[in-house]
Amino acid sequence: MEAFDQWKLVSLSPLPLAALSGLVIALILGVVFACWGVRTEATRRRRWILWTLRVLAGIAALFFLLEPGLRRLQVARVKNRVAVLVDRSGSMGFPVESRGPSRNDAVAKALESLAPDMKALEDRYAFETWGFDPELSPTTPESLLSEPPRASRTDLFAALRAIKAGDSGGARKLSGVILFSDGVDNADLSSGLTGRPKQMLEALGVPVTTVAVGKGGLTDLAIEAVKVDDFAFVRNSISAEVELHGRGFGDQAVQVVLKREGQIVASKVATFKTDDETQTVKFTFTPDQTGRFVYTVSVPVYPAEVVAENNTRSFALKVIRDRVRVLLVAGRPTWDERFLRGVLRQDANVELISFYILRNGNDNSGALDEPRELSLIPFPREEIFQKKIDTFDVVIVLNFGSEDQQVSLVGFRDDIERYVQNGGAFAYLGGDRSFGESQSSKNPFENVLPVTTAGPASLEPFVAKLTAAGERHPITALGTGSATSEAAWGAFPAIPGMNLTRAKPGATVLLSHPSAVVDGAPAPLLTISEIGRGRSMAISTDGTWYWAFPSHASGAPTRNYERFWNNAIRWLVRDPDLTTLSVTADPASVEPGKPVGVVVIARQPDYQPAPGAKISVELIDADDGHVVGQHSALADEDGTMRFEFPPPPAGAYKLVGKATKDDKVLGESSDAVAVRAVGPELADARVNSALLSEIAKTTGGAFFDSTSFSLSDVPLREPPLVEVGRSKDQPLSDRWYWLTMLIVVLGLEWAVRRRFGYI
Amino acid sequence: MNLVPRGNNNAPTVVPPRLPMLSRRAFLAAAGALPFSARAFGDASRFIPAIVKHGGRWDVRASGLRRLAWELQRRTSVEVQLEAHPLALDSPRLFEHPFLYLSSDGDFPPFSQAEVESLRRYLTFGGFLFADANDGSDGAGFDASFRREIARVLPQSPPASLPVNHVIFKSFFLLDSAPGRFLNKPNLDACLINKRAAVVYSQNDVMGALNRDVSGTWEFEPSPGGQRQREVATRLAINLAMYALCLDYKDDAVHLPVIMNRRR
Repeated sequence: MEAFDQWKLVSLSPLPLAALSGLVIALILGVVFACWGVRTEATRRRRWILWTLRVLAGIAALFFLLEPGLRRLQVARVKNRVAVLVDRSGSMGFPVESRGPSRNDAVAKALESLAPDMKALEDRYAFETWGFDPELSPTTPESLLSEPPRASRTDLFAALRAIKAGDSGGARKLSGVILFSDGVDNADLSSGLTGRPKQMLEALGVPVTTVAVGKGGLTDLAIEAVKVDDFAFVRNSISAEVELHGRGFGDQAVQVVLKREGQIVASKVATFKTDDETQTVKFTFTPDQTGRFVYTVSVPVYPAEVVAENNTRSFALKVIRDRVRVLLVAGRPTWDERFLRGVLRQDANVELISFYILRNGNDNSGALDEPRELSLIPFPREEIFQKKIDTFDVVIVLNFGSEDQQVSLVGFRDDIERYVQNGGAFAYLGGDRSFGESQSSKNPFENVLPVTTAGPASLEPFVAKLTAAGERHPITALGTGSATSEAAWGAFPAIPGMNLTRAKPGATVLLSHPSAVVDGAPAPLLTISEIGRGRSMAISTDGTWYWAFPSHASGAPTRNYERFWNNAIRWLVRDPDLTTLSVTADPASVEPGKPVGVVVIARQPDYQPAPGAKISVELIDADDGHVVGQHSALADEDGTMRFEFPPPPAGAYKLVGKATKDDKVLGESSDAVAVRAVGPELADARVNSALLSEIAKTTGGAFFDSTSFSLSDVPLREPPLVEVGRSKDQPLSDRWYWLTMLIVVLGLEWAVRRRFGYI
Repeated sequence: MNLVPRGNNNAPTVVPPRLPMLSRRAFLAAAGALPFSARAFGDASRFIPAIVKHGGRWDVRASGLRRLAWELQRRTSVEVQLEAHPLALDSPRLFEHPFLYLSSDGDFPPFSQAEVESLRRYLTFGGFLFADANDGSDGAGFDASFRREIARVLPQSPPASLPVNHVIFKSFFLLDSAPGRFLNKPNLDACLINKRAAVVYSQNDVMGALNRDVSGTWEFEPSPGGQRQREVATRLAINLAMYALCLDYKDDAVHLPVIMNRRR
């Protein structure tokens, strides 16, 4: 049985539209001319009768010309989609209220209660329930209950865009969205609905009804954010702003502690005045070492708290140097001091602070009023070596001894040693006052020097010789390889003499005398050593200026003296580019549950890649030194290798890498990585009703602050499309009465015309 | 008698008498007793003035340079060698002496091209030249010869008047004038290379104020200031040596407040 539920009037004429149009025009003109012919009829009544009959005849002719018919249609309405979106992020596991069910369970219950209403509308709407984490996946109340929410972030905007994207190409259009969430977005909408996301939601064309899941009244302390720069300058203060949100902590004080890899850096007290308040705690601290370090901000965990994991938050801070701050102390003005000063003053990366002893205690200036006639200032020993020494990256002492009590630094021996042990860099240049024959026992720098005095000075000029260690060390790398460096050192003019010293155990001699021997080994000229966390360098002569000035006598310009000092400064301050092994955490901050990645790059002593080098990396707990994991592998052709450690517990870790090749140690390096206790998702236990309300308002949807609502209150777009099934045409012009009517009208017109006296 | 100090670490330190003026006898006695407590490496590390040997009378102030070295040793911590080294500008040993003294009491013939290039290199890479018009000339004599030659050596850096606030006037003594045997010009001239005064030129015969004759007495009477002018000239010479050794050390920020306060 055919069931037609719609009809429309159509022309069934087989003639083409153009022909039909021509005939219709001709017919109308015919009627007009026919009416025109009786315009002079004197009697108005007769004129109107003739006009009426002729128009009716024209209409009747038009009817037969167009062959009107009735087209009967069968149509069916298409059901549109209604998407029910359920937030599956970790925060949905928080309780709705204290001791209440989880937000996730509340949603499952709400969906169950809405099921009858959905069924009632199923002739018009197809309800689809999706969970987003933030990828969309179908879900049901049962699966919501059986699978706790675990997603590490909430991205409401991405979920809405994804559900809208399902419209393209699909037959069923979206009539509306019902969004269940706590509104704690930590993606595009984390700072509210503004800018481009707002514009895009306005253009969504679909009403989004939002349902806030959860209530206030929770007890929780959360470090919601730590605002700090990605890097800091060493020995320059930096501030970290900690945003601490307290719920249920009105009139309570909370201790906030900042630690660097287990060691307390600072602590402050935050006092909450109300039960729902965010306090900003500002820590200002001064990193004293370059490198990457993990800092952790923590607050105590109170028993009633909903989430304990958001009470700590770690961040990695890269500490770099600004300008290398160099302290140059010279025992007297010498040519060595003059040319070293020239190099350091020219270097834009160096901030030079210098103190020269311009007169000895027994000198006679010849001035009657010395304070007014001399430009000399007192040597501020206490200021420099007790108060300010930690502000210097490098301390260079040149030909400075201990014989003059007025300027002696013997009393600052401990300060200097502490400075170096704690990571400072120290360079000591020779001369009669520094490595004089009787200096060792009295020398205030004795404990931080890599050498000791070994005897009378050698006054024979000599050309410095690179040792095996010097051939591959960055300080003595004056060329692109060991051969060119050796040639560069050999091309320097002879220096006029040197102090005889002996290297301490563990020190490395980079340059030595070509023939003078101390304890059976070539007398060291340039010696380096690691002392505690610091570095030390000694040059056993005050004739290095021969590398600077007399080296130009031949006319060949060379910058090798400048290059040498540049290398030395960079090595002393541990310039990362001067390491043969690079260890870099990738990334520096790891979200909970994610693996710890590390990229290691091994280079040869000449800084070429070291393919095939054996690389080992240890993941070490920075707090207790416990080795958490270990990897080793051979480097690829670029000397590079990437490792991943399984997700460790939250905390601060050090990544310590070593590399060897052909049984030779290529280097050792380390980096730091912060594994967060909680990601941004679990850091925030609040319900962001404002955001959900704004989304509903922007898209034309409704906002409900609880899961108890009626589906009839949800704005949904009516399904706009109908689908044509079958049709049937029924002619109207083939009926006998239409023809009869035409004949009657024409006959009547003829009879009337004759009656009125027309032919 | 060798006046070169050859002390050792254990030499007793003796404070020399505070005498602005010394007789030759006292001068020699004091020199022998100077507290040279230790040795650097040979003479190379000491302040050793070098005198430019040119075609004119180049050595008329050798005694004054010796006096300068002695005054440096006596008044400052600088270690010196008293005898200046005469060197031709194209000598391969020129670069072992970063302090160079050029003077004459009259004109001198042009430098050879090799000398010009050597001096240019010397000044460019850090050497210091003190040119001293022993004849106090202006537009003739040494002045004309020097300006002619320095224009060949440093055509891009002609001598210009050095302001009195330049670090040379405070590198050891606080000075506000630049006298020598004469006071013809109140200022020094200088050729700057990258802000460094590579060449300093005086038309006042600074070393003439320090020069002694063979009998050990002052060879010239400074005019118009007499002995006071000689002392200031000595201090200027010391400041020049200190500048060559320390560059702009006294322009460091740590010194400025003190120096400004003392200059008030």
